[in-house]
Amino acid sequence: MSIAISGLEFRYSGSGAGVSGIDLDVPPGAFCAVIGPSGCGKTTLLQLVAGFLRPAAGRIALSGVDVADVPPKDRNVGVVFQNYALFPHMTALENVAYPLKLRGVPAAERRARAGEALEKAHLSAFAERRPGQLSGGQQQRVALARALVFRPRALLLDEPLSALDAAHRAAMRDEIRAVQREHGIATLHVTHDQEEALSIADMVAVMEGGKLLQLAPPRELYDRPVNRFVAGFVGHANLFDARVAGGMLETPVGPLATRDPLPPEGAAVTVLVRPEALEPISEAHVAEAVAKDDGALVLMGSVTRDRFLGSLRRFDLAVRGGTILGETSSQAPIVGVRVPPGAVRVLPPEA
Amino acid sequence: MTPPAPRNARLLWLALPGVGVLAAFFALPLASVLAEAAKGDALARLFAAPEFLDALLASLWLGARAAALSLVVGIGVAAHLATVSPRLRAALQVLIALPLTFSGLIVAYGFILLLGRAGFLTLLLEKLGADPAAIAGAFYGPLGLVLAYSYYLTPRVVLMLLPVFLNFDPRQMQAAESLGAPRWRAWVEIVLPQVAPTFLAAFCLVAAVAVGAYGTALALVGTQLNILPLRLYSLISDAGADFPLASAVSVLLLAVCSAIMAVAEIAAARSEDAHVRH
Repeated sequence: MSIAISGLEFRYSGSGAGVSGIDLDVPPGAFCAVIGPSGCGKTTLLQLVAGFLRPAAGRIALSGVDVADVPPKDRNVGVVFQNYALFPHMTALENVAYPLKLRGVPAAERRARAGEALEKAHLSAFAERRPGQLSGGQQQRVALARALVFRPRALLLDEPLSALDAAHRAAMRDEIRAVQREHGIATLHVTHDQEEALSIADMVAVMEGGKLLQLAPPRELYDRPVNRFVAGFVGHANLFDARVAGGMLETPVGPLATRDPLPPEGAAVTVLVRPEALEPISEAHVAEAVAKDDGALVLMGSVTRDRFLGSLRRFDLAVRGGTILGETSSQAPIVGVRVPPGAVRVLPPEA
Repeated sequence: MTPPAPRNARLLWLALPGVGVLAAFFALPLASVLAEAAKGDALARLFAAPEFLDALLASLWLGARAAALSLVVGIGVAAHLATVSPRLRAALQVLIALPLTFSGLIVAYGFILLLGRAGFLTLLLEKLGADPAAIAGAFYGPLGLVLAYSYYLTPRVVLMLLPVFLNFDPRQMQAAESLGAPRWRAWVEIVLPQVAPTFLAAFCLVAAVAVGAYGTALALVGTQLNILPLRLYSLISDAGADFPLASAVSVLLLAVCSAIMAVAEIAAARSEDAHVRH
């Protein structure tokens, strides 16, 4: 129950868009989220694994079996579509039983198995309803049950949460993860929502322009992005162009110290500072913030935007040389930030 | 939120002209035809004459063939229209709807120019070794009528089916395939049940039109073909018109067409139901 992709190439005739050089391994039972801006090739990748598109080159193996020449119907892959693609003329039960019917399971047994799947999805009361009579979340659960009832080799989710409102999305996210764990099935989850990806997945693949930029566990992706694009796409980020000079990183806002290994003197690099890693300075604590000697750069300025996000507050601080994005849970007026060396990450040089 | 009653009452007066026209040009003639048909032994004479039953069967057979051809062509056209760009689709729809504005007589004349004894296609086929007399002979009969009827019925079919094809979510096909369905089963078990009611509705609608049409038939084959509308025409145009019998034939024709239309309506309501639920 694993997905192994190597050297995968595909081009759409006409537009020239597609994917190239994709290497991606999803071990048995792992949940891999694929994120990227629209047009990055993430849905193309899913369509290739499902077999709706034929790769120009490369290998796709499901549970170790090469499926390059296997048509979609024989791939044994469960797919949940963005709009669920339930069959409107069938009841919820008939929808879930359909893959079993296709596999020649006798009527009584498939009714029982489909009924059991619906019961697990807390949908027993809605078994005889048609998709049009179900809410978005219920349709989502039917689609998930239908994609899993025939014990597929892999599960593919194509932005299944994008049609739900925010309140249901978080709950459905946990539910999908729970069901996936229970089945122990390798899962590829395509989404444009980086927060969703970080919270649900064991590993996250970031794509852009048809290429896989980075594949890493959420924490590592966030802390050690491989380049500017990944740093900006995953979470919020302050990104500075810097030059190494005298053991410091010269940036437009000032010289920054870092705990990361320094590139050679004179090298041009990109520096990442996550907004929550900054230490905001409130009016009352200016003196002690300046006096503290830990190598931090102190930047004074004025708040130009202040966004209240409930438990969190995200602010733009205009300082000499640029604007700093910061986050804090404090509600005190902010007049500056400290940038401690531990908050300063040096991104690997771009090829 | 309901507007005050006096306003509603005043608005009701606006319906008066419509009701008047309906009464003068629909209810009144219909009532007089029914009254005429009920006079004397017209209905009994109608059912006693075997040629009327033959005419009815011939009409139904003609209508079924014309509707079947229109449906087959219409399905292909509508399915293709659904795949082209919206701009091209709009342009093509105008072209396709054009035959709807032609009178049956013009359609018949056009077909005579194409497939008549000295028709363009007939002469072309003659060059290829076909017998022009045989072509014209087949053309000035039920076969020609099926062709000519389909010519102006197909656009109706296309207009009815296009929304169905446009609304069909192609991802359902992908879903079916990913669940293990061979393509033919996806067509039979997923697509067909969803489109069949509209197909049936379109078939019945154009069949009813074909059963009742007479302009094209009169222009193409004259009155020698034994179908119900032409029977009716000769009953009221010949010397010694038999109006009670003509009224009885009218009632029969009306009943048959209404029955077919009823099937169409029920089928259409069903497919609409399915779409609303979707």
